[in-house]
Amino acid sequence: MSFLAPFFALGALAVIGPILFHLIRRTTREKTPFSTLMFLEPSPPRITKRSRLENVWLLLLRCLALALLALAFARPFLERAMPGPPPGAGQRIVILADTSASMRRENLWPEARGKIEARLRAVHPADQVAVLTFDREVRTVMSFEEWKKTPMNERAAVAIQRLAQISPTWNATRLDAALLQSIEALDQADESLQGKREIVVVSDMQEGAQLDGLQGYQWPRGISVTVDSVAAQTHQNASAQWLSESEENDKPGEEIPLRVRVSNAAESKKEQFQLHWKGAPQGTPVLEAYVPAGQARIVRIVKPPTGATALTLSGDDTPFDNTLYILPPQPAQLPVLFVGPDADDDTHASLYYLRRAFPKTAHQNVEILAHRAEGAVPAFQLQQSQLLILGDAAGDVPITSARQFARDGKIVLMPLTSATSASVLGKLLELPTLAAPEATVKDYALLAQIDFRHPLFAAFADPRFSDFAKIHWWKYRRFDAAGLTGAQVLAQFDNGDPAVVQVPLGKGSVVIFTSSWRPSDSQLALSSKFVPLLQSLLEQSSSLPPQKAQYFIGDEVPLPTGPQPLRVRKPDGQTVSLAPGAKFSGADQPGIYTVTPGTQRFVVNLPPDESRLAPFSTERLIALGVPLRTVHETPAEAARREGQAQAVEIESQQKLWRWLIVAALGVLLLETLFAGKLSRTVSGSTIAST
Amino acid sequence: MATTTASNYLDPAALMSIRNLELRARSVVEGFWHGLHRSPYHGFSVEFTEYRAYTPGDDPRYLDWKLAGRTDRYFIKKFEDETNLRCYLLVDLSRSMSFGSGGYSKADYARTLAATLGWFHSQQGDATGLMTFDGAVREYLPARHRPGHLRQLMLALEKPAEGRSTDLTAPLRRIVELVRKRGLIVLISDLFAPLDSLSSALSLLTASGHEVIVFQVLDPAELNFDFSTAARFEDLETGRDIFLEPSLARAKYVEKLSAHLEAVRETCQKLGIMHLQVSSSQPLETVLFDFLKARADRGKVVRRRAAVA
Repeated sequence: MSFLAPFFALGALAVIGPILFHLIRRTTREKTPFSTLMFLEPSPPRITKRSRLENVWLLLLRCLALALLALAFARPFLERAMPGPPPGAGQRIVILADTSASMRRENLWPEARGKIEARLRAVHPADQVAVLTFDREVRTVMSFEEWKKTPMNERAAVAIQRLAQISPTWNATRLDAALLQSIEALDQADESLQGKREIVVVSDMQEGAQLDGLQGYQWPRGISVTVDSVAAQTHQNASAQWLSESEENDKPGEEIPLRVRVSNAAESKKEQFQLHWKGAPQGTPVLEAYVPAGQARIVRIVKPPTGATALTLSGDDTPFDNTLYILPPQPAQLPVLFVGPDADDDTHASLYYLRRAFPKTAHQNVEILAHRAEGAVPAFQLQQSQLLILGDAAGDVPITSARQFARDGKIVLMPLTSATSASVLGKLLELPTLAAPEATVKDYALLAQIDFRHPLFAAFADPRFSDFAKIHWWKYRRFDAAGLTGAQVLAQFDNGDPAVVQVPLGKGSVVIFTSSWRPSDSQLALSSKFVPLLQSLLEQSSSLPPQKAQYFIGDEVPLPTGPQPLRVRKPDGQTVSLAPGAKFSGADQPGIYTVTPGTQRFVVNLPPDESRLAPFSTERLIALGVPLRTVHETPAEAARREGQAQAVEIESQQKLWRWLIVAALGVLLLETLFAGKLSRTVSGSTIAST
Repeated sequence: MATTTASNYLDPAALMSIRNLELRARSVVEGFWHGLHRSPYHGFSVEFTEYRAYTPGDDPRYLDWKLAGRTDRYFIKKFEDETNLRCYLLVDLSRSMSFGSGGYSKADYARTLAATLGWFHSQQGDATGLMTFDGAVREYLPARHRPGHLRQLMLALEKPAEGRSTDLTAPLRRIVELVRKRGLIVLISDLFAPLDSLSSALSLLTASGHEVIVFQVLDPAELNFDFSTAARFEDLETGRDIFLEPSLARAKYVEKLSAHLEAVRETCQKLGIMHLQVSSSQPLETVLFDFLKARADRGKVVRRRAAVA
């Protein structure tokens, strides 16, 4: 019989209590009231009676109950051997090395490498080891297979040599993904080894490490995690983060201030920081930022000096995250081509309203190009334009250019302004028989059925915006959409005639309005739906992806889709060639990237979490259910811990304490009955005696 | 409800089970009448009438007009008192009286005794007054004989007493102050008080000319001290307790108690007070009988004493 918590057995000393009470109660009990003590003198009780214990059986029962309780709390168990691992069987160990950006600090990486090397040299010949590095993603330095294939005496040396070629990246720390992948690696490894499985994490355990993925994860049995942390001298860090402009500031023509958040670590003792512009001309003033420890302040910069591309923070102790790259956002150039003879100032024509439909914003700059000539549209205009609007009475050659435009993957918008427009549409779609006679409208027509699931109308899907009944359509042209292959009716008039039809053409499509926004045709140009409708057409047609002001290391950057391959130049001068349509995923260092051909530039900065350097408590891991082991453990300690764990398991299987508690309850019940009976007889005898 | 027992007397325990004090008293007295059949002791309280010369200021109502007619002189005729006897029942209800070993306390017994005497006197047409006391006077009813007075007396007796200590001096002095006319004073108490204070208090009563009868009510357990188990004995009045082994303490106790009782008896005799020691297990009829007998003998005693003096 052994005990899990032998110190609880000391509780059995509480039996002294009842013994004392049984001794004391003798003198205190039984008061007999008497009329007067005038004639009485105190006569001391006999000495021999005093030390005698009253009700020995009751006392024994009480002592037994207490002893049973104490025994139950001591968690006894009967020892027996547990099926443990066969002696001499090797362990499987995954060594996870942190190569995130925060490891660039001070001497952390060499220190971490030293720790890993020490571990590699100390492994048992029967052990199997895999070395992985992790930051944003996990990379294998040496897998279990490679370890097994390598001759036994060279294994550690090979791993150390490979490790020497690795240096920390600029990536964020995703500890959760790394741990999960290590478990996977341990599971996939050789099944013949049934011994212990262990993950050794060598990291600075910074606060910014991501752990969310471990939430609710059921850890497999038999895997333990050891954290071997490397500590920096100082955690006094301040960092700067560029906050992308908010939508409220999205007003045309207004200078948007850049907002930079300067955060200071909680344990920092410094509060005054300076922001310098890198690459700015001499004499540019230094920006001062006062940030108390543990807080953040936002610095507003109205206009970066010309040529400046980065902001450097100084005043803290850790320089690795002090450079913030900034490119003032450039509005996207989106030319829209109008093909047709409309005059610029003709308020009865389509072009007049089109020119006013695209206001200049901080994000985009739409230029309306009008092509009135009979000749072909210049190639560069066709290539740059993002949307083409085909007016009626366009010549044959421009129509061919428009067809080519649609085939290249963009949208041609064709409003039918009269019955004769049908011939233009017929030429565009190469259907000469197409006819669109004027419809007879009594008073006005209304849009009745609109396909709000289509991207063109998706912006109006909300019931607050979906009311098109205020737009009266005076005239429209009847048009047989069923005759066109692949045609999709996006909106219908109230009598069922199509109002908006999309017809695929090549890679792109033609969107046909059976009426137009001219005042003689409808009230569309005057309504609040006109601008968003054209904007959504432009967005669909445009090949430019939405641009973010900045990206973080490891983010995928969408690039303009075009027929020709693109080249991206990294900040360090390397160039990466990309197939057309591919996304750029090589953003592995902070800085400014340039895309050729073209002039697009984008900014990649360090993930802000990487600047939170304070080491987090291992309790956070324990709270997430990670079976953590303390680092520095001698073999004797390990053996004791193992024994303890085994004892816990045996005890939890046997659960003898339950029976002891039941026995204690039984004894207490007996005691109650016995004491009740005794008190009845005592009180009865008292009554009888008087 | 006179229950005829083997001894022809009502068992005190059975009597105490009657809740109503008035009913209890009546059963005792009626049983007494029934058992006695004929009482030779009634009519002992008659006062003679006297004449006194009229002086201006006297109420002319009381002039004896017949005598005035005959003799032409004015005499005031002093009428007989409304009652023959003024009897005051002084009942001690202190904490020591609340002791009782036989299912009822000495105080219960004393109350019943007082009620019995009250009833008895009212049957005879005597005025009965009441004073209950512990450390101080609790209830006081002047002596009267009128319908409803007996009822009030019973109610006053039934009121519980909460006092702790016994102090005979103050209540006795008070009764002397209150009762100017000579009468009969019946003191019912256990007389567990220091002897010197007791004798000075009793002498107050006799000094003011009252006839005094003392019923000393004692519990059988007090007389014999027949406790068997050792325990802490708590004084009901002071709350003090001492540890006792009854078998060891008994002899000393009985000795001391009998000395006290003897001293009390002597004191009473010296003061011309009738002293009756009553055990609370004693039937009340016999007590009543003793009482009447003692009163009948009293005349002789006093006379003899007077002759000696």
